[in-house]
Amino acid sequence: MYRYDEFDAQIVRDRVNQFRGQVERRLSGEILEDEFKPLRLQNGVYLQLHAYMLRVAIPYGQLNPRQLRQLARIARDYDRGYGHWTTRQNIQFNWVALKDIPDVLDLLADVEMHAIQTSGNCIRNTTTDHYAGAAMDEVMDPRPWCEIIRQWSTFHPEFAFLPRKFKIAVTAAEHDRAAIRVHDIGLHMRERDGVVGFEVHAGGGQGRTPHIAAKIADFVPESALLDYLEAIMRVYNRFGRRDNKYKARIKILVSETGEAEFKQLVEDEFAAQREAEKIVLPQAEIDRIHAYFTPPELAEKPAESAAFERAKAADPAFALWAEANLHPHKVHGYASVTASHKPVGGIAGDATDQQMMVVAHLAEAYGHEDIRVSHAQNLILPHVALDDMYDVYRELDAAGLATANESLISDMIVCPGLDYCNLANARSIPVGQAIALEFASLEDQADIGQLHINISGCINACGHHHVGHIGILGVDRKGEEFYQITFGGRADEKAAIGEIAGPGLRAEDVPSALKRVVERYRALRTEKSERFIDTVERLGTEPFKEALYATD
Amino acid sequence: MTSVRPKLKPDTPKTVTAWETATGRVVYMTADHGWTSDPTELGVFTGEAGDEALAKAAAQEGIVTDPYFMEVSADGAISGRETLRETIRAVGPTTHPEFSRAETA
Repeated sequence: MYRYDEFDAQIVRDRVNQFRGQVERRLSGEILEDEFKPLRLQNGVYLQLHAYMLRVAIPYGQLNPRQLRQLARIARDYDRGYGHWTTRQNIQFNWVALKDIPDVLDLLADVEMHAIQTSGNCIRNTTTDHYAGAAMDEVMDPRPWCEIIRQWSTFHPEFAFLPRKFKIAVTAAEHDRAAIRVHDIGLHMRERDGVVGFEVHAGGGQGRTPHIAAKIADFVPESALLDYLEAIMRVYNRFGRRDNKYKARIKILVSETGEAEFKQLVEDEFAAQREAEKIVLPQAEIDRIHAYFTPPELAEKPAESAAFERAKAADPAFALWAEANLHPHKVHGYASVTASHKPVGGIAGDATDQQMMVVAHLAEAYGHEDIRVSHAQNLILPHVALDDMYDVYRELDAAGLATANESLISDMIVCPGLDYCNLANARSIPVGQAIALEFASLEDQADIGQLHINISGCINACGHHHVGHIGILGVDRKGEEFYQITFGGRADEKAAIGEIAGPGLRAEDVPSALKRVVERYRALRTEKSERFIDTVERLGTEPFKEALYATD
Repeated sequence: MTSVRPKLKPDTPKTVTAWETATGRVVYMTADHGWTSDPTELGVFTGEAGDEALAKAAAQEGIVTDPYFMEVSADGAISGRETLRETIRAVGPTTHPEFSRAETA
């Protein structure tokens, strides 16, 4: 992974010292909240329902064990013993006192981490496929370009005060696991005649007006990528609306301008860039960045592991887990492991300090010191030998991280909702817990197959409800929580916005209503391999709407 | 800056709530314009007394952040349209009962 050079380290440390001074002045009353708020937000500090929340950047979701241990220490010493993985592959701490945050930032700086640009109207953490560098189906590793984008976008003075926040995602696999089409800019890496380049999508997003991004370029060669991104950003900076925050995201600009015209504006801006403005990345620099992402040296192994097969035959729970939570690796004899942070009835995405320590240990002992945070709020060990898998499973299981449910019905994306969030209208986590308990049997979940339920506690859609196969949106109706259901959303290469089923349901009615929907799906699917989303695609949403509102 | 919460009529019983600046802890104004983290000790204000309480809170920005009116009943219980939000804010996340005020006090 990328390592800080002396300049990176100094800049981050200086920033901590600068923020320490700002916090001291805030606490002494020298500066007031109106002045302080933009300063704290630039350092990832929010004020939430119960306390300050600190959002820490995890570039493209990659961590090493030392960093994860430091996050565990922060959770233990400065929070209440846990953190929360986010859909931007970051972590949030929910209970950090403002007076302690400079110390926390110092601890982060010790392990080459920070919280800069995790808030505010700037370019946020660039996200990617959580199996990057390991997935059998990727054409190349997207992380070096995520890192180049990170370096370009960090402290970029032209893009520090955009009309609104801005999110970029990159994938290098045909099957999109990074949800690029619901990002402000989505990049799909491809290779054409030996040249690496990017298919560029722009104007995707969720929130109150969800949009699927428009494809605005088929192939931008890597040598021109940053200039092309700058052209998009400049068009957005110039024409994006600043008069209404609800219409300020680039998705509104693309939609109101029209895809063809927006594309032309970008092309014109790109063409107008003067030679002196062009960002010339020397090949040596590109190579230097790529060198940080050299794949681990994995010993050659047969595709099949006798130890792995024996353990599966002897332990059905392990076999179930292996079926659900392992992803094919590009090297024979290895797999990428999902450490599920979705225990049935537990809190989606929460990790205790002890769980973090366990995953850090496993990454060291079995995983080539590589850990990823997925946008679905789980941790991944991307490179684990099948021979070691049973040992890894048992340690994860002992730590409560081995629920066999990756991409199954209880592997929900869930925003913090009204239990934490100052913006939320309704609770999200308890609804997710109740649904998971309704479908508690892991064997049953395996039979249902892939089904993404995403839950948001308000229209801002932090829980990605628009692109859940089943989406759930919490709304407030005269002080009471109701939940609006959508069907048919998806975040992959066939990205689509879910269709609202009808009137909202009371929280207590949601699990049984979804049970009816799932039973209807089971009755309608042509075979077990037809996923819920495939059945919706084949038959439309009507049968599921009917099941949702049917009375038992 | 005061949080954007629903506007309350002058004669609606209310208190002033905010966050302690140093810690982020939720606090409520007491009848004598001090601060408490215990919602059972909050002061109830109406009319001009409410405006005066909010103005006093706003003047204490080093100590508290984002003060705003919260609707309560005449005896100081959380009430009105924001009851659920304010109850969760007062007690703690419903998903972590071990962190509830009663447990952590």
